[in-house]
Amino acid sequence: MEKLLTIDHVSMTFGGLKALDDISFDIHQGEIVGLIGPNGAGKTTLFNCLTQFYKDYEGTFTLHGDTPVDLRDLKVTEVIDAGLARTFQNIELIPDLSILDNLLIGAHRSFKDSFAEELLKFPRALKEEKRLKEKADRVLDILGLQAIKDLYVKGQPYGILKRVEIARTLMSDPKLIILDEPAAGLNDVETDQLEQIIQLIQKELHVTLLIIEHDMGFVMNVCDRVCAINFGQFIAIDTPQKIQQNPAVQEAYLGRDDDA
Amino acid sequence: MKLFMRMDEVLGKLGAFFRKVPYIGYSAFFILLLLIPYYHSTDVISSGQLGIFAYIVIITVAALGLNILLGYSGLISLGTAGFVGAGALGVGVFLELGLPFELAAIATLIVSTLIGALIGLFSLKVEGIYLAIATLFVGEILRQIFTTVPIFGGQSIMIGSVTLLGQFELSTFDQAQRRILFVVIAFLLLIMMIAMHHIVKSKTGRALLAMSRSSSAAQAMGISLMKYRLMAFSLATFFATFSGIMYALYNQSVPTTQWTLDLSLFIIAMVVVGGYKSIYGTFIGAFIIYGIPNLYLKELFGDVSFIFSGVLIILVILFYQNGVAYLATDIRLLYYKLKRHILGGARGKATDD
Repeated sequence: MEKLLTIDHVSMTFGGLKALDDISFDIHQGEIVGLIGPNGAGKTTLFNCLTQFYKDYEGTFTLHGDTPVDLRDLKVTEVIDAGLARTFQNIELIPDLSILDNLLIGAHRSFKDSFAEELLKFPRALKEEKRLKEKADRVLDILGLQAIKDLYVKGQPYGILKRVEIARTLMSDPKLIILDEPAAGLNDVETDQLEQIIQLIQKELHVTLLIIEHDMGFVMNVCDRVCAINFGQFIAIDTPQKIQQNPAVQEAYLGRDDDA
Repeated sequence: MKLFMRMDEVLGKLGAFFRKVPYIGYSAFFILLLLIPYYHSTDVISSGQLGIFAYIVIITVAALGLNILLGYSGLISLGTAGFVGAGALGVGVFLELGLPFELAAIATLIVSTLIGALIGLFSLKVEGIYLAIATLFVGEILRQIFTTVPIFGGQSIMIGSVTLLGQFELSTFDQAQRRILFVVIAFLLLIMMIAMHHIVKSKTGRALLAMSRSSSAAQAMGISLMKYRLMAFSLATFFATFSGIMYALYNQSVPTTQWTLDLSLFIIAMVVVGGYKSIYGTFIGAFIIYGIPNLYLKELFGDVSFIFSGVLIILVILFYQNGVAYLATDIRLLYYKLKRHILGGARGKATDD
């Protein structure tokens, strides 16, 4: 399988605390990789380094493609151009915009019209708006949000918000989608729906996903491979079944989560 | 009940129609504004009152700019009055240099907007209360410059009659021509309202909102905070300067001393009371904050505008943060709620039987 992302000896320190300690693993094209670990293991820190919110990490993230990209060379706002789109642990949507408009924010970089064209509503501005709204429609269809696209984000149920955030990442034609705890706070029905959605977007849109998740049932059902970390250190990466049986992983979780 | 249903439908369709073709709403608003000089010509409105309406129209443009900053971008400026003054006095200075009015206006806009963008650099460094303090002093510095630097001419700059498009000479001291000047500034307000509509309902408006509501999501979606903060300040300054130019055009004499913090605070009050993010609301806010005290309360109680707007702004912040622009929406929601309640009650009865 072709490599998409290489995480190579990444470390990150906050003051004296080693949040990430020499993490290395690969993500392959088209797979769904789970990232698990107890609270404070450094999962979100890894995401923030990967998406360049933190810049002062050691090691490298290499995005493979026609020409490999060292993500450190990109600004935080350029990461999306490289094909990395992410969600956040606490939902970060714009409450006073409609669901459709929130999706259009995900396509911000795809608009090719200039400010002047926008101000004067030149044909190109109208065309761009139309083109990306049509694209949003397709994404909304896949995620089953079409019927409510004109409603404000504010006041929507949690499950919908999580789905809108995933929809927003899809608007930038990402190669790799990074989801931070997509199933947290969802009920069983919503979690089942989310599993289907994630499998659907992997199949339909051929994207690769990296998912932080605490819900072990969800991780076992959805992920092709699972990477476990604890106290910032790499433990193992393997298929869900093997990770489950891995003694080191069991130790990390012991007494906290029996069915893991 | 049937009547209720039909009313809902009509309201819903009407709303959708105006959202789809916003220009109709703005044009209707413009035509309503034109009724004011008409009533003025029939002496229902006095000369002084026409001036008050003109001031509302003028200051609405500055408040629209501040609404882009405050309502959309979540940034604050206490220096708005300084830039309104810069627009009014700047155009006066350029006119004295012999430029035609339109060129003077463009030159003023360019210079002032560049200064505004520079002020925007502050916002990259500080936020909230510190940004407020920094911009407060920008406003005060500008005010000091206007009153002490000789090119602005001491007490005031006299502009005299203005020639538009090279042939229409309009003087504010002629009653008929003053009415035409009112139509001109009302038309400029219409243009600025539509411009703001285009800005906020597009990529830029969404980016500004994203930046203020969630800076991390904005960055992850590729929205540069630096670019859009500078943009927000440049736009707000542009609108404020434009408002000043309208002031110079209508009044044709510009005092140097009135561009103080008081005015900046009034403009903020207009946005807060009128409604964040609302274009019509900003005008309503300007009418409430400037119009009501000067048109109606002054005769009864004297100059109480500060007390009036102060009390209003506290009431709005405490009890109705949306601002009056959202009254109609909220009343409609309340109506739906009541209706559901009544209908639900009726249905409950039916099943009981």
